[in-house]
Amino acid sequence: MEIPYTVKPRPDTGLYNAKLGIWLFLASEVMLFGALFSSYVLLRVGAADGTWSMGLMDVIVGAGNTMVLIASSMFVVLAWAQLKQGDLAGYKKWKWATVGCAVLFLMVKWSYEWPSKFKHYDVWFKDTAVLHAHVNEGYGKVAGTEENKAALRDEENKALGLPRLYAEKKIYVGRYFKTDSKKSQSAFTKAWEDGSLALSGHINGYEEAEIKVEIIGWSSDKGVSEADADKALENQGAKSPDDLRKNGGTLLEKTDYDTAKLAEYKLTKAGYSLALSVVGYQYKEAHPYFWRTGRVNEDIGGKPRVLSIDFGLDVNSGDKKEHHPEVKIFTKDIKRLNSYEPKHSTFFGIYYTITGLHAAHVFGGIIVMLYNLLPIGLATWHRDREQFANRIESFGLFWHFVDLVWIFLFPILYIL
Amino acid sequence: MADSHDSPDFIQYLIKLFYMVGGVLVAGTLITVLIDVLIPMPLVFAAIIGLSIALVKSCFVIAIFMHYKWDKKLIMITWTMVLTFFFFAGMMGLIMWAEGDIPKLHRPELPAIWPILASLLGIILPASFTVLTIKLMNQPAVLESAQTPKSKAKRTTRKKKTT
Repeated sequence: MEIPYTVKPRPDTGLYNAKLGIWLFLASEVMLFGALFSSYVLLRVGAADGTWSMGLMDVIVGAGNTMVLIASSMFVVLAWAQLKQGDLAGYKKWKWATVGCAVLFLMVKWSYEWPSKFKHYDVWFKDTAVLHAHVNEGYGKVAGTEENKAALRDEENKALGLPRLYAEKKIYVGRYFKTDSKKSQSAFTKAWEDGSLALSGHINGYEEAEIKVEIIGWSSDKGVSEADADKALENQGAKSPDDLRKNGGTLLEKTDYDTAKLAEYKLTKAGYSLALSVVGYQYKEAHPYFWRTGRVNEDIGGKPRVLSIDFGLDVNSGDKKEHHPEVKIFTKDIKRLNSYEPKHSTFFGIYYTITGLHAAHVFGGIIVMLYNLLPIGLATWHRDREQFANRIESFGLFWHFVDLVWIFLFPILYIL
Repeated sequence: MADSHDSPDFIQYLIKLFYMVGGVLVAGTLITVLIDVLIPMPLVFAAIIGLSIALVKSCFVIAIFMHYKWDKKLIMITWTMVLTFFFFAGMMGLIMWAEGDIPKLHRPELPAIWPILASLLGIILPASFTVLTIKLMNQPAVLESAQTPKSKAKRTTRKKKTT
């Protein structure tokens, strides 16, 4: 059965049906985002001092992305206005501009904003004394500016020392509080004294384990034949597999983690028992993504997978202009290491949830816009101009809603 | 968009309006950022200012970009949105009730009837709205405009007033 498409508004609803449909859809979207916004508000209000890292957000990038989305919202309605005047070329021009803005928005989000957070870390220490030593060493290198020296003339500040003052004013207050107040100072003092203060920064380099893989023995319990077991050894680079299987011995003298673990996995399946041990550490210069405590502290024959980390400390909660002072952190001191991923904290959990859902809407919008720009979608225009204009208007309503969500997201995520 | 607003002149007028609203939105964003960067203030004030500006911006988007201003027979949309709000408020009320944070209105204990009424409202409102919508949708569509000259006259006068 074909359902006739009515382009004219119905007298009872005052709308053409597609428009009523899209408004109902938007109502359901209001529910969805409303629930998330409410969750955000409840979490934000209930957050303890010094746990809500809104100061880490780059307001300028956020504002730029807001502008991009506002422009795209204007372009999409201009595209519709061109259609209403019967100008298909004008429609295409504005629609492509909208697609361009949407793609730019997602690129900023998915290739800059998010990835730069995934390689930005917080480190918590087991021992308060170690934390204090790192703050004094790291921030001692950058604390000598005139501004900080002036702050030190205050007797009370003098007792604290420059590095600590720097960590409080530039890092802690800027990250967790809107203004410097008694509340922010006491929160910092508490975190400083009980050692719950996290050092934030980037991993610039690390010492990773070099692993020796030894064969201890072999049994046919796993149901693998001797020939197959030899072949498995040969695949891992053994020169005399028969001898190694019978007597045991060293399979790999010095190898990296991935190779060693792969060999362990495959050979265990073939019935071997293996021993992995760390023979040394090799320094690597890299900015790794998504590291967690388990990644660096993994126990390999009694030694950690990563011995130490060169950690470039943040000098200002949002700012990247100054030189990052580097401290060497031993992984045995680390209580917790986490990049700014959803697991990091409630703030990042809700941040990625809301912005991710919004980005998914933008992505879906791009697909619909491309459909309406390609011949397959434009066929509707050649068949029934009114229907196509209505379709574009309906899409426009959705797109404005996506813009609306961002208009509210920008202040709550980047400013509050 | 009502059919009386398809004239080329009106579209030209709309396009000008769209550019103006775009300007207002950009200005709103700039003001939000400038206030945040230049004037340090407590969270409460920052929230009030930031969200107020966002509210003004969203009103412009809904009224102009989404043509809400000209869709005069928008009982359906208004219904949809108002009922969504009530349903949503009811749901949030249930959540807060579960959390034990429901405002007690200075009484030691809230009578159980209120949360029950709230949840009933949350069910009845959308249900009644669905029934109403189905009823309206099942009416035969009258494609030829059934507008009376009287209503048309009324609309043009209203348009003059608002523009």
